[in-house]
Amino acid sequence: MNPIPPGGAQPMIEIEGLHKYFGGLHVLKGIDLSVTAGEVVCIIGPSGSGKSTLLRCINHLEVAEKGRIRIDGQLAYREEVAGRFRPHSNRAISAVRAQVGMVFQQFNLFPHLTVMGNVIEAPIHVLRKPKALARQRGSELLAQVGLADKSDAYPEELSGGQQQRVAIARALAMDPKAMLFDEVTSALDPELVAEVLTVMRDLASLGMTMLVVTHEMNFARQVGSRVIFMDHGVIVEEDTPARIFGAPREQRTRDFLRTVLDR
Amino acid sequence: MQLFNLEIAIANLGPLLAGLLMTVELTVVVIVISLVFALLVALGGMSRFTPLRWLVKCYIEAIRGTPLLLQLIYVYYVLPEIGIRLNSFTAGVIALTLNYSAYLSEVYRGGIQAISRGQHDAAAALGMTRALAMRRIILPQAIRVVIPTLGNYFIGLFKDTALCSVVSIQEVVFTAQILAARNFQYFTLYTVVGVMYFAVSFPAARLVSYLERVAKSGYRRKRS
Repeated sequence: MNPIPPGGAQPMIEIEGLHKYFGGLHVLKGIDLSVTAGEVVCIIGPSGSGKSTLLRCINHLEVAEKGRIRIDGQLAYREEVAGRFRPHSNRAISAVRAQVGMVFQQFNLFPHLTVMGNVIEAPIHVLRKPKALARQRGSELLAQVGLADKSDAYPEELSGGQQQRVAIARALAMDPKAMLFDEVTSALDPELVAEVLTVMRDLASLGMTMLVVTHEMNFARQVGSRVIFMDHGVIVEEDTPARIFGAPREQRTRDFLRTVLDR
Repeated sequence: MQLFNLEIAIANLGPLLAGLLMTVELTVVVIVISLVFALLVALGGMSRFTPLRWLVKCYIEAIRGTPLLLQLIYVYYVLPEIGIRLNSFTAGVIALTLNYSAYLSEVYRGGIQAISRGQHDAAAALGMTRALAMRRIILPQAIRVVIPTLGNYFIGLFKDTALCSVVSIQEVVFTAQILAARNFQYFTLYTVVGVMYFAVSFPAARLVSYLERVAKSGYRRKRS
C-alpha cells in the first residue's frame, strides 16, 4: 500500500534539506517532506523533536538556515542565486503565507475583535474581499465549526475549544491551499479536545491538505493518511498509520509509542 | 489684615479664569499633537532602518537628560539667535510637545512590546504585512493598554504648563504673578490658583482610574 495517493496529484507542500538552528542548537537536521494535495499528514514525536519548528518554518515564522520550501510548486520565501540565498520581498513572503492557513496551540485570536471580526479581518484587509462577501463566507465557516451563534462574541467570552474552532474558521476564511495545525489541542481542557478534533476530522473529509503536529495518537491513527515520527530534528520514520502504530520499524518509534500509548 | 481676602479673590476671578483657560488650551493643544507625534517617534524607534532608530534614541536621551524649564527657555530665547523667532504660545507648545513626546513614545513602545508574540504570529500567518499587522492588530490593543498611563502623563502636563510663565504665556500662574505684583495679595491669589489646578486635576485623575478599570476588564460585549 502506497501512502502517497497515486495519479496526477502534485505536492502541495514540498520540503528539501531543511536545516534550522537556534543559536548553537541544531533543531532541524535536513528535513525532506512532501505533502500531496488532499493528504492529512500527522507529525508525532517527543517534545523538543522539532515538529513545531518545522511547521513554523513552512510558514516562515521561523527562518530556516538551509533548504527549500515549495508551496503548490512555487519556491517560497527566497531564491538561491549563485549559492547564496536572496530573501523574497516582505510582500511576496506575506502572499505565500496567505495561501497557507495556520492554527496555533494558544489560539492567538485577536482579543479586540469579535468572532466575526477575527474571521473577516484578513479576507478584507489582505485579500481585499468586499465586506459583505467576507461576512457571508464568515457565517458559513462559523456554521461549519458549529459556532454560528457566537459571531458577535469576543474571544475572551468563549471556552478554549470554541476559541480554537474560531481560529480554524479564521484560517479557512483565507481559502488556503493547505492548513498547518500546531498542537492545537494541547492547551485545551480534556473535555474540550473532542470538539476541535471533530472539526478537523470534517475538514479532512472535505479534502483539505493538512499537516498536523499532534499528541492525539487516535486522531493520527484514524484521520492521518500518513504519519511521520520525528525525533531530535530528523524524520525517523514515515508510513501509513496502520504500520506506524501496528508495526513500527524503528526502535525509537517503538519506544516513543510505548510511552505515549502507555502499554 | 486677613490672610484670605474673599473680595480680592472675587475681583480677580475674571483674569485668573482667563489664565486657567489659557492653561487648559495649552494642555489640550500639546496633548493632541503629542499623542500623534509620540506614536510616530515610538514607531521610528522600532524601525528596521538603523539611522532612524539612532535619531530617535538621541532625541529621547537628550530630552530626558535635560530639564523641561531649560528646554522652554531654549526654544523661546535661544532659537531666535539662530533666526527662529517664535511667539510665546508656539514656543511653549513646541517645547512641551518635544518634552512629553519623548516620554510618551516610551509608553507607547512599552504598550506595543507588551502584545504577545502569538498576535504577531497569527497576523503574519494570515498574510498580513508588518505594517498592516501593526495598524490593525497590534496598535489597537497596545493603545488600549497605555491609555491610563497616557492619562497620568497628561495630568502631569497640565501642571507642568505652569513653567510656561517663564516664556510669558499668560497662563494662570503668570496671571497670578502679574496681579500679585500690583496688590501684594499673594495668599489669596495663589490659593485661588491652587484650588483651580486641583479642581481640574482631581476629576481628571478620577477619570484616569476609571479608564484603568475599563482597560483591565477585557474585551466583552456590551451588556444591554
